[in-house]
Amino acid sequence: MTANLSPSLWRRWRGLLITLAAALLLPFVVGLLEGQPPTAVLANSAGVSKFVQGLAIEVFIFALYALSYDLIFGITGLLSFGHAMFFAVGAYLTGALIKSFGLPLWQTLIWVTFASVLQALLFSVVLPRVKGITFALVTLGMASVFHLMIMSRELGEFTGADVGLQGMIKPDFLNPATERLRLYYVALALLVTMYYLFKRFVDSPTGRVCVAIRENEGRALMLGYNTFRFKLAALLLSSFAAALAGALYAIYQPIISPHIASLGFTVTALLIILIGGVGTLQGALVGALVYRLLDFGLRRYMGESASFVNGLIYVLIVIFLPYGIVGTWRMKSLQLRQGWAKIGDAIPWKPNDGAAR
Amino acid sequence: MDYLLDVQDIHTFIGQYHILQGVDVHVPKGSITALLGRNGAGKTTTLKSILGLTPPRQGSVRFAGQELRGLAAFDVAALGIGFVPEHRAIFRDLTVEENLRIAERRKGDYARKQAFIFSLFPDLQRLIGLSGGALSGGQQQMLAIARALVPDNRLLLIDEPSEGLAPVVIEHMMAAIRQLATEATIVLVEQNFLVASQLAETYVIIEEGRSVQAGAMRDLVNDKATIHRYLGAA
Repeated sequence: MTANLSPSLWRRWRGLLITLAAALLLPFVVGLLEGQPPTAVLANSAGVSKFVQGLAIEVFIFALYALSYDLIFGITGLLSFGHAMFFAVGAYLTGALIKSFGLPLWQTLIWVTFASVLQALLFSVVLPRVKGITFALVTLGMASVFHLMIMSRELGEFTGADVGLQGMIKPDFLNPATERLRLYYVALALLVTMYYLFKRFVDSPTGRVCVAIRENEGRALMLGYNTFRFKLAALLLSSFAAALAGALYAIYQPIISPHIASLGFTVTALLIILIGGVGTLQGALVGALVYRLLDFGLRRYMGESASFVNGLIYVLIVIFLPYGIVGTWRMKSLQLRQGWAKIGDAIPWKPNDGAAR
Repeated sequence: MDYLLDVQDIHTFIGQYHILQGVDVHVPKGSITALLGRNGAGKTTTLKSILGLTPPRQGSVRFAGQELRGLAAFDVAALGIGFVPEHRAIFRDLTVEENLRIAERRKGDYARKQAFIFSLFPDLQRLIGLSGGALSGGQQQMLAIARALVPDNRLLLIDEPSEGLAPVVIEHMMAAIRQLATEATIVLVEQNFLVASQLAETYVIIEEGRSVQAGAMRDLVNDKATIHRYLGAA
């Protein structure tokens, strides 16, 4: 009976496939609603569709960034206060290499990948020695040093110091002004690919050990697992995804702001997965959507008071949905299915009995 | 005599506290040995010291002739030592099957041991798709023991298997542990003297971080004074 409770492959993926189909059609549907023909949308003409694409790209970037945080915090249980550094390294390296060194995007991305591995290794140096809140504080220290570096005048030529990095020439084929629709689909494809990769990782034996480490590292050690290797694997994958999100941010945004390296930006990732559901992966996607749309909607209609209302809403979400939107949904739907199963067991006759007769 | 596990005069510190101040445990191959003592005597710390989770600073821990001191916990486990911690230490977010599969040391371990595990704990087969957190206390304890059976462990360290369980479940657990003894040597920490005396052939009493007495369980059962002095039971 319990085996029947486990969702089938279609049931597991159908929500995401429907969402993906909706995301693929979104620019054209919005265009049609505003009286824009698909040809105008394809030609990147100005209008609501182009604006919505921009907003959606920001959601994808936030989602990828939050997804990377969910892997190390939600799945593996590593509380890092320096996660913004993973994102900022990707963004600043992309900006600086393209602007100051004139590197093409593909070469830049190779450097970003290399840097993402290096920063994960840097964080991993302290992994065997510190745990819990101490690890969080050490990572905060590392990220703060990086934040100070990009804000420093000495590196201002490359980073733009406290003003931020501006004037990066966007790659022609992904220029957010002239090729926004392509950028939209590239960002969507990147998010979907990374989500699939993360899902495969979490469902793999390696991912299950990461979940075991989150629950109790000592128990995982007693089973014969060198937990350091698993935490390092999660850090590497997380750092890579966050750096890619940063690179995408650099391509999309006109200014690479230094706040993306601050503690506040790490808290943003934490907030997104708290809204969506910690350790669910899907929660990062849902949380990013809610976070960005709430922020945008409230700022548009409430101006300066938006931050206050925003904060209040987050507090209410955390109080009334302690497992986040996805986590609570999963729990309630499981309870519902178990309830139906119990009712089904209690009924002495089954609807099919009559038909059989 | 040749022992499978030979612990000699270990001293373990947790922070600045000197918890074990000279513990000796000699475990013959194929036996069930009970570590007895009052709460806080150092029984669980002894198990953790053997495993390298709280490494001893002094003394020797030899398993099948090999020195374990200095090895990391995961290396100790890989030698064939399984640990069933107290409080039914299963992974609550993993399913029953995932809890068992995660203990595989070599691919195929679970497939080979599946039939044996389900013959010992038939309930687990029925609950295979449920998450560990959804199981009752007794079922979690069975799962914790079953998990230690997945790899080919030569030695099983079981901490308080009867803690918090109903008498009928304890009976089942004891039968399972007796069955386990045909597969592996067992070291048992047990607060319930009745359970320990029915399962173990040899015992070690630990008092305030020191091993104070050891011998055959059948002798201890008749030694009411020792039982009363060290275990508070009569």
